[in-house]
Amino acid sequence: MSDKLIQLRLGIGAISLAAFLLLIAIPFWVTSPSNVPNIILSPIFWPNTLAIITALTGLGLVLSGLSRFSLKEPISLNSEKNTKAFFRLSILGFIMGITILVMPKLGLVWTMMFVFLSSAFLVGTTYTKTAIICSIFLPLILYLFFAHVAGVAIPQGDYVRLP
Amino acid sequence: MSFVDNIMAGFSLVANLESFLALLVGITIGTVAGAIPGLSATMAVALTLPFTFSMTPITGILLLLGVYKGGIFGGSIPAILIKTPGTPASSATILDGYPLAEKGQAGKALGMALWASCTADLISNLALILFAGWLASFALNFGPPEFFTLILFSLTIIAGVSGESLLRGALSAMFGLLLATVGLDLIYGTQRFTFENPNMMGGLNFIAVLIGLFAIPEIIGMVWNPKADEGKSRALGNNWVTFQEYKNSFRSIVRGSFIGVFLGSIPGIGAAPSAFLSYSEARRKSKNKENFGKGELEGVAAAEAGNNGVAGATLIPLLALGVPGDVITAIILGAFMVHGLQPGPMMFLINADIIYGLFIGLIVSSVFLFFIGSIAIRGFKYVADIPRSILFPSVMVLCVYGVFAVNNNLFDVGVMFVMGWIGFFMIQYKIPAAPFLIAFILGPLLEDNFRQSMLMSGSSASILFRGPITWFFWTLTSITVFTIARAGINARKSNS
Repeated sequence: MSDKLIQLRLGIGAISLAAFLLLIAIPFWVTSPSNVPNIILSPIFWPNTLAIITALTGLGLVLSGLSRFSLKEPISLNSEKNTKAFFRLSILGFIMGITILVMPKLGLVWTMMFVFLSSAFLVGTTYTKTAIICSIFLPLILYLFFAHVAGVAIPQGDYVRLP
Repeated sequence: MSFVDNIMAGFSLVANLESFLALLVGITIGTVAGAIPGLSATMAVALTLPFTFSMTPITGILLLLGVYKGGIFGGSIPAILIKTPGTPASSATILDGYPLAEKGQAGKALGMALWASCTADLISNLALILFAGWLASFALNFGPPEFFTLILFSLTIIAGVSGESLLRGALSAMFGLLLATVGLDLIYGTQRFTFENPNMMGGLNFIAVLIGLFAIPEIIGMVWNPKADEGKSRALGNNWVTFQEYKNSFRSIVRGSFIGVFLGSIPGIGAAPSAFLSYSEARRKSKNKENFGKGELEGVAAAEAGNNGVAGATLIPLLALGVPGDVITAIILGAFMVHGLQPGPMMFLINADIIYGLFIGLIVSSVFLFFIGSIAIRGFKYVADIPRSILFPSVMVLCVYGVFAVNNNLFDVGVMFVMGWIGFFMIQYKIPAAPFLIAFILGPLLEDNFRQSMLMSGSSASILFRGPITWFFWTLTSITVFTIARAGINARKSNS
């Protein structure tokens, strides 16, 4: 991806975000009392100001992108490598999603054991034994610290409960 | 209270085993984390923050300051041994550090890095003690309009200097400011972007955003390219730095320390420019200037003095004005808030004992850094051998535990993951993350001070120009924008 393309994409993205904020997000999701004496003190004034400055920044990015003719810093990798990388990223996203979903049922400690192992194997670890040992002991040690030293109520889940 | 009373009150707070142990552990964690390529001082401070919740404020903040100091020095170890800076601030150390390592003098280079770091750290801490109180007493005259213009100036300079493009820095800061509007309105208590979700009414959790932005993208980056950052470590060699060599470089070390103090006390500049400026000044003034870049010990000393000179000085705006000097001090600002403290001029009146306790702790930290640094240099090969495929899953587990522990809330973990993907996207599109985080922290302060000013003046903007202090900051803001924009235009002209 060239520097020019990055500037253009960011600029268009920023303008779109600003338009979304000004036309949809702020009118629908920011509430303002009807008796505000001056618009400057209204809860919508600050988000509106920020949205307008975002749009101006986006415009600046588009203009600076258009004025760049050189396509320097090409950073595209070969497509097979990219496909594998995207596949790994999708799995990581899936692991993160699963973490949020199963943590209340399974408990933080057991979920973290799963997260450790799955992410270690996702990046192709060759230290299998170390990964298994760490996946068991690290979440347990952290549980001991946070639950028994810091007094944090670590979720235990519905199945195996720790002391 | 007099200065002596404050010192005694501070001493009574820190003169216990717990505080010194926290400092010692913090410096050790920081040095190890800084020495591991892929981890950084920022990530180390962010990950340590949740562990401080159960501590007293002074102990927790000393732990974080220890991690900060250790992390800045630790970054020089891989810079010299494997030509990979552990932190961006160590980039200048590579220039002469790695050539020395190639000549079999890595031990000498690391020794000089340690001596220069400790000297600069001490000078920086003394500057902090000398100037922070003075600046805070001056800042007691600040009202909301003055704070508004000060924060605006800080945001401008941070957005401008933390990346290759002013516009991308500004965009990053705008994202941070927008995200900071989530939650209940500061004056009317109405909802802003909360979607009726009670988890969002208090705004997004600072630690979830912070860890999401600085730690999770590294993990995603590791998954994207598992083979990155593999370097070949050099042996230490038998040579060690001598006192005579330290003496020969002493002028460069002191000069570099003062450059660090000056640049560090300006919010947003950071350690890397200071290290490079100190290095180039040392080369300009040196008798052996032709040897710079080929393995000159004075070059290592100057670079390290430049980046460590910043460490204490970045705390000057933080403690005196409540404005963070860089990302790490932004995290430390968050730590103060978590512990119910608000850095700024009033803290020098209300919590003077904590301020002076921190000063004493910082002076002691320079001594601890020397001893721990000496051990870390010899133990680096064990740290460097930790496989990244084990390290990053460990970081992931630490992140989840740490973020969950803040509010016992699963929602925060979700916020952290989302911020992680946003952070990864920002890296891919070369958007600097520092303006985002600092704007996220300063956003509510900026808005609050603006609206308070408007309430004071009956919505007249003239209050924002009411006196010499506001004019001073408006002038600085204008000069900064003009200078950065001109530098950008010149850079583009010279490239084309």
